[in-house]
Amino acid sequence: MSDQPVTNLSESRLASSWGAATGSWLPAAILLLATIVVWEAVVRIFAISAFIIPAPSEIAQSLVAQWATLMQATLVTAGEILFGFLVSVVVGIAIALVIVRFDWLGRALYPLVVLFQNVPKVALAPIFILWFGYGLAPKIGLILVIAFFPVTLSMLAGMQSVDRSLLSLMNSVGASPTQILFRIRVPHSLPNLMAGTKIAATLSVIGAIVGEFAGASDGLGYVIQFASTQLDTALVFAALLLVSVLGIAFYYAAEVLERIMVPWAPKFSHA
Amino acid sequence: MRVETIRAAGGRPAHIRHDDLISAKSVSVVMARQLVLQNIDLSIPKGSFVSLIGPSGCGKSTLLKVLAGLVNPTSGSVSIARLSPVEAARKRMIGLVFQDANLLPWKSAVDNASMLLGIADKSLSRADLRARGQEMLELVGLGDSAHKRPHELSGGMRQRVAIARALALDPAVLLMDEPFGALDAITRDSMGQSLLEIWQRTGKTIVLVTHSIDEAIHLSRHVHVMGIKPGRITESLDIGLPYPRDLSVAEDPEFVRLAVQLRTMLRASHQPGGAP
Repeated sequence: MSDQPVTNLSESRLASSWGAATGSWLPAAILLLATIVVWEAVVRIFAISAFIIPAPSEIAQSLVAQWATLMQATLVTAGEILFGFLVSVVVGIAIALVIVRFDWLGRALYPLVVLFQNVPKVALAPIFILWFGYGLAPKIGLILVIAFFPVTLSMLAGMQSVDRSLLSLMNSVGASPTQILFRIRVPHSLPNLMAGTKIAATLSVIGAIVGEFAGASDGLGYVIQFASTQLDTALVFAALLLVSVLGIAFYYAAEVLERIMVPWAPKFSHA
Repeated sequence: MRVETIRAAGGRPAHIRHDDLISAKSVSVVMARQLVLQNIDLSIPKGSFVSLIGPSGCGKSTLLKVLAGLVNPTSGSVSIARLSPVEAARKRMIGLVFQDANLLPWKSAVDNASMLLGIADKSLSRADLRARGQEMLELVGLGDSAHKRPHELSGGMRQRVAIARALALDPAVLLMDEPFGALDAITRDSMGQSLLEIWQRTGKTIVLVTHSIDEAIHLSRHVHVMGIKPGRITESLDIGLPYPRDLSVAEDPEFVRLAVQLRTMLRASHQPGGAP
């Protein structure tokens, strides 16, 4: 009975989870729409000044009017996020690998990594500007220090959660630590790693904006600062909207990457 | 407890026969100041099917790990074909199967089946490994599931792949730690029957750790009953039922008699004791 293949079952579960996903979109969309309508109504009824809370229609107008500037700024910020994110992932993975593979080095490194995690990294932004100037480098540095930690931590958790009896099997045939690392631990850690990567994607957006706040001549963070000094709150909101869109885009890009990298991830293998 | 006192407790001298593949002489294991195994004497003839049965905490899994070279005995010695367990494992003489199949979810059944062999023997090409994996899958009755991933297989099928993976090493001995413990009763029976057929076809020596009285009698030629506090072998029972056996063996009056006898022995083994 349980010796039968279970493919059909998992396929039907996949289908029903699709249904659930589209079903769960609808209430969120309705709530969003309702919020926009109420927002617009409240601003108009109480005649709230546009530089305190602009109505959604004013934000949309600002978005259209400043489209070229905003797109250019979005491109700059997106570049910083992408570059910073990739550097964070690479460095995060490298640190995790070193900690797991070289026991002594790991024991030296790990507490320092955790200690560093407690430094308020937003406060590092002015120092990075001082060190690296106003260009791309300080933003990458800031994203790196903010976003590498979840990557390292999740990959470590994945690599260290390999079943002991699987390690026994490997040891019994004389597998080297390097073989165990790359044939077992690293692929085993991929589902965890991808979860950490999604967190890093979100943190990268924050890192880029904070970096631009601290000192920049371009990008959405710069637009937000500039527009608020001009009391152009509608433009601030328009830029915020684009930051959010960027954040969502990066998050889902990371999720697509997850589907490609770990087709065996738990959600597909609950059969 | 001190090792010296364990030795002083003394036991029967081991009777080592020439056809013994595995022999353990006065093996004791102390872990975290607990005496896990006391004075184990065990000799397992080549080609035999031996079960270790006993209550939880009797150290039967630890004994299996000692035989596999994964745990070093605190005192005493173990040899497998006159080699230490670690040497024997390096020479691919030991195949291990645990309760959890522990397949790699990112590899197909055939690649899982040849995974350990690939690590043990680096000279084999990918094609050699595939061929060997396929051959072993056919031996365990999964020849047509070679390209399935573990999540597409049932629990019983996964455990068959784990057995194929152990057999791919062409080991002299198959050490199995409650391999069917997580399966339902019907699957468990059919897996046991398959294991018997594999045993008869390959002539491997099999050591099986189990909780199940029926499984022990159905499959093995010798059963060693283990007791707790400390873990030790309390009784040994030969199962005289002729091979080939199938599931109908359970209706044999001799089977019933042996089951009663084994149950009585197991009940006694739940009583702590042994050490002076």
